[in-house]
Amino acid sequence: MASQRFFRPWGFILPGIVLGIITLVVPIVMGFRYSLHRIRLYRLSDQVFVGFQNYMRLFDDPLFMMSVRVTFWFTIGCTILAVVFGLAIAAVMSTRGIRGTGAARFYMAFYLVPFVATQVVVGMLGRLYIWEPEYGMINWIIGLLGMDPVGWLISADTALMVTTITNSWRLVPLALLVFYAALATIPDAIVESAEVDGASALTIFFRIKLPMIRFHISFVTLIILTSAFREFDLVYALSGLGPGRSTNVLSMLVYHMGLSTANIGLANAISFIMFGIVAVLAVVYIKAAKLSEMRE
Amino acid sequence: MNTHKLRKARSLAARHAVLSIWLLICIIPLVTLVLASLKPAGLFMTIPEIFSFSGFSLENYGRAWRQGNFPFFLRNSLIIATASLAVVLVVCTPMAYGITRLGSAKMRNFLVFSILSTRFLPYVVLALPMYLIFRVVGLSGTLFGLVLAHLAMQLPFMVWLMLGFFSGVPIEVEESAIIDGCTPFQTFMLISLPMVLPGLNAAAILAFIISYNEFLFAFFLAGYNAQPLTVGIARFVGGGETAAQYGVIAAYGSMIIIPIVVFALVVNRYIVTGMTQGAVKG
Repeated sequence: MASQRFFRPWGFILPGIVLGIITLVVPIVMGFRYSLHRIRLYRLSDQVFVGFQNYMRLFDDPLFMMSVRVTFWFTIGCTILAVVFGLAIAAVMSTRGIRGTGAARFYMAFYLVPFVATQVVVGMLGRLYIWEPEYGMINWIIGLLGMDPVGWLISADTALMVTTITNSWRLVPLALLVFYAALATIPDAIVESAEVDGASALTIFFRIKLPMIRFHISFVTLIILTSAFREFDLVYALSGLGPGRSTNVLSMLVYHMGLSTANIGLANAISFIMFGIVAVLAVVYIKAAKLSEMRE
Repeated sequence: MNTHKLRKARSLAARHAVLSIWLLICIIPLVTLVLASLKPAGLFMTIPEIFSFSGFSLENYGRAWRQGNFPFFLRNSLIIATASLAVVLVVCTPMAYGITRLGSAKMRNFLVFSILSTRFLPYVVLALPMYLIFRVVGLSGTLFGLVLAHLAMQLPFMVWLMLGFFSGVPIEVEESAIIDGCTPFQTFMLISLPMVLPGLNAAAILAFIISYNEFLFAFFLAGYNAQPLTVGIARFVGGGETAAQYGVIAAYGSMIIIPIVVFALVVNRYIVTGMTQGAVKG
């Protein structure tokens, strides 16, 4: 970018900064303040400062600790599934003969569907028609293969797995799209010279192509990780708390603490712990990848 | 020679088969929903019954439209999504432009860093305090409040997205416009904006889709009067009198999801541009 700057662009930036302060900074600061108080939803004026008591209470709370575990597995599961499937499909799509053709554009248009589909509806569709134990599609397919039906969402052993798979279905397009765009720009000459040296397709993919798109992989991983970590819509509609609270992710717990059991202070403490986790993740990542200089 | 060709054709067919299977995985759930919604209202049906192309009926649609207060929630959804789109155009785009044209690298990095780090925020961190703040300032249950809340979600992503497009605009073009007597605002409107038009379309389309689909903020903040379709269907399903009407729920869901999916398919080129650009460097 040119070094010469010829006007002061603050007039363009300020409205955005003001709105950012109102909609982002103020809620975060107030949320932290609430987390240090004991507040009941129905008596908002009655706020008692309790310091970090809400946070202390959480670590003895089995419900919270379980929710942390559930969120951990959900987030890791979604990230691995979405990145691996996205990468695999992008790898096939970016091969010669398919890459850049009308067929590729056709596939890509439909591959976007899970990403643009309204999540609450996807959740309901999953619950009523896909994973439903008696009439659902998955158990129908399983029945065709001669296996016994599974209780998917009504069994505590499988509900979290099913929720993870359904949410990954929605996240794959993000990974797939970026990986395809990145893989498709690798020059043929590089691949061809490796082929001349006798490298197999798999070797070329893992040894040459993957390292070339490592930046894309790491950034997409961060986006998917944080996106799965904060998921609420789909979980709420698909499985709710889940049998035995087996799908009670942190976002759901915040909702139930805050608006159902009406313990606002405690709920804000949970959401602030979530904020802390994401902040650490993002800062570590941005520092490592020097992303702040990316937009130069 | 011939076996070589044959092997190549086989390999290509195998790859197309893999891609077609994934395509089916992407769309079959939605096809199931739509087919189920077109069957007569009543009990749950098995998968072969849903997929048998007979006995179609629009009965469920009529019921969903009337019982679930669909038109009112649709109006709310459209207002919220359109307002979000407008905010992206009027606020986020100039902001991104301004940031790329900032003289101080320190300031620029600070703003880019702030935007990138707020992009990953869990939404409950914002929604819960907003719920309380809105009650105090009288914004709870208003469309205006909900649009503000959506702004918190849109702003970091959209500014980030547009940053990528604007940093591709050569500054020399702008300089000569300024020399020719354009004001900075004129330069922005007449020179830079037209050069990022595909990006602008992508941002506007994504903003609309994201706000239309959004549930969490609306669920926390909308009350009844500002309730969009996403909350409408959640409460509709939860409501006692509709609990067993799966066909009606399928119709309600189809009316929400099909327009947005068809829209996305029509403008898929822009969504691809936007999502790719939004996830990688410019």
